[in-house]
Amino acid sequence: MRIPDFFRFFTAVSLCLLTPLSPLYAEPAKVKDADLLKKIQKDSFQYFPRLSDKTTGFTRDTSRPGSPSSIAATGFALAAIAIGASHQWIPADWAEEALHKTMKNLLTKAQHEKGFFYHFLDPKSGRRVWASEASSIDTALLVAGALVAAQYYPGSEIERMAHDLYARVDWKWMLNGTDLICMGWKPETGFLPYYWDTYNEQLILQALAVGSPTHPVGKDVWNAWERREDEFNGRKVVFAHSGSLFTYQYPHAFIDFRNLDDAGINYFENSRQATLANREYTIGFRHLSKSYSENSWGLSASVGPGGYKAYGGKPGEGLQDGTIAPYAALGSIVFTPEESIAAARHFYDQHSKQLYGHFGFKDAFNLDKQWWSDEYIGIDQGIIVLMLENFLNDGIIWKKFMALEAIKRWVEICNLEKETEIIPGS
Amino acid sequence: MVLTPFGDWHSISSMNINRRRHFFINKPLQLRFMLYVTLPLIVITCVMMFGLYIGIWGSMLEAFSNEKLRNDLLTASRLTEYEQARQTVSGNEDSALSFFKQAEKLSQRQREVFKEILDSSNKTLLPKFFLLLFFIAWGSVFISHKVAGPFYRFDKSLEDIQNGDLRVRIHLRKADEGKTIAKRFNDSVASIDDSFSRVKKIIRENEADPAKTLTLLKAELSRFKTSADS
Repeated sequence: MRIPDFFRFFTAVSLCLLTPLSPLYAEPAKVKDADLLKKIQKDSFQYFPRLSDKTTGFTRDTSRPGSPSSIAATGFALAAIAIGASHQWIPADWAEEALHKTMKNLLTKAQHEKGFFYHFLDPKSGRRVWASEASSIDTALLVAGALVAAQYYPGSEIERMAHDLYARVDWKWMLNGTDLICMGWKPETGFLPYYWDTYNEQLILQALAVGSPTHPVGKDVWNAWERREDEFNGRKVVFAHSGSLFTYQYPHAFIDFRNLDDAGINYFENSRQATLANREYTIGFRHLSKSYSENSWGLSASVGPGGYKAYGGKPGEGLQDGTIAPYAALGSIVFTPEESIAAARHFYDQHSKQLYGHFGFKDAFNLDKQWWSDEYIGIDQGIIVLMLENFLNDGIIWKKFMALEAIKRWVEICNLEKETEIIPGS
Repeated sequence: MVLTPFGDWHSISSMNINRRRHFFINKPLQLRFMLYVTLPLIVITCVMMFGLYIGIWGSMLEAFSNEKLRNDLLTASRLTEYEQARQTVSGNEDSALSFFKQAEKLSQRQREVFKEILDSSNKTLLPKFFLLLFFIAWGSVFISHKVAGPFYRFDKSLEDIQNGDLRVRIHLRKADEGKTIAKRFNDSVASIDDSFSRVKKIIRENEADPAKTLTLLKAELSRFKTSADS
């Protein structure tokens, strides 16, 4: 072996060992962490079969009594049930039947406008409730979840129905004559006066809209939104207005951004920097709040003592009041494995009595006010299940999602293919 | 002719004559008909009214129970917070505005709930309405058949009598109405039939003695009152 070859081999082996994905858990000292993560994933998964309607399969927005079905939570449920079946957490035939039923009801029963589902539906009838809007982002999350489920059942009716759901969405209509995607539409008032005009969770919406096989939007739509960059603690981030961690996570549950490059921006690295900045911002307030510490961090939209708020770090609004949402750290596990695992361990070891229930971690807590959420939120459970699946199973969701023709089309149209590969988590 | 504001006196007198003073002419028959027609209708109507009452008010009471109202209040508040978290560019909104948004959401929800109750009531009413129509149709066919069948038999029998056949008798079904009158009819026809049979017999047996025949015929026919008597 020549010396340069030896160095190349040595470097490759070292990088493999340092890679935060599966090889990490071969080490005996970390086995306990892997078991904990699997337990959290399995428990969080239980939200979906338990809180989905038995007749329609539509999933409740939260575990609170009287909660309507949320279309985004239903999307996460579709992906989660496929994942659950692959791990044999639920019987395979039950999962298949549940997915079939849900997709059929989505196609036939759920109220929609040009393929865009209303944000909140009656769990039994599928009718629009609470005068909610036909929501672009929530429909995108639903379609993404359906497409993930489809990839687990190739050649099946489930796959066909998932693609029908996707094909039905008229993404162009949601532009409302602009080059930005509108947030939603109501029959009473028409298009909402809000558009997806900056960086946030809309990347998944953009990818599906550009890659659509039936109603695609042009590359100009992808280019139209603003990539605002700011810095916190020396970390440069293309940031979301709220600074909420979920905005850096949702698209990454489906899309493997590690090897994609948007005119010099790598959104995987961007989310890693945003997560670290969020953590550092949280820790910066440790002298003011008992909730915050090195292993107790994660500011993201969640319930809090004063209601649901878009908590977040900087860059961004940086709204904080001592409320921590455990899903925030767990949802960032692919970006910051060490920090996220330490946080999960801390939440579990220190607060499991008040914070851990049948469906894993409850939504949030605030030690300053001795407040513990007693509810679970569907989309927050969903991001935990999907991100842990990517993390624990070698990016399996990413692989399945990136194999979709629509996603390949989006990558090609928007010229996102990176020329040189980067090492994940490095 | 005596004129009154209501017409001539004669026609008023005949109206009074035709006016029914007793509404129960045939008590058992009328009571039976009341039982057949009125009771089922009362029962069905009561069941429908009760179902409707329970259905609508049950839904109303459930929709506006303390627990539901509490849940709806919390949901209104939560959905407003979701919207603010997603759509508010300038951070926290004025709490008064937030309150109005929650109130608006609640009122929208209440309209939805009313519409749901109305829709579900209509949905349950429609099959009940068709069921009632079916019952009425079936009942009217059943009851009219009980009456129309005997009428038909009477008509045929009277036609036969008119044509000179006095052997006819009416045999009604078990559930048919008018059995008493049919019995009367049969007895009457049997009586006339007997008389005519006897008349025929007298003529046949006394052909050689016309005087005796006449006497016997007179005696036989004397019990009949006819138009020729006066």
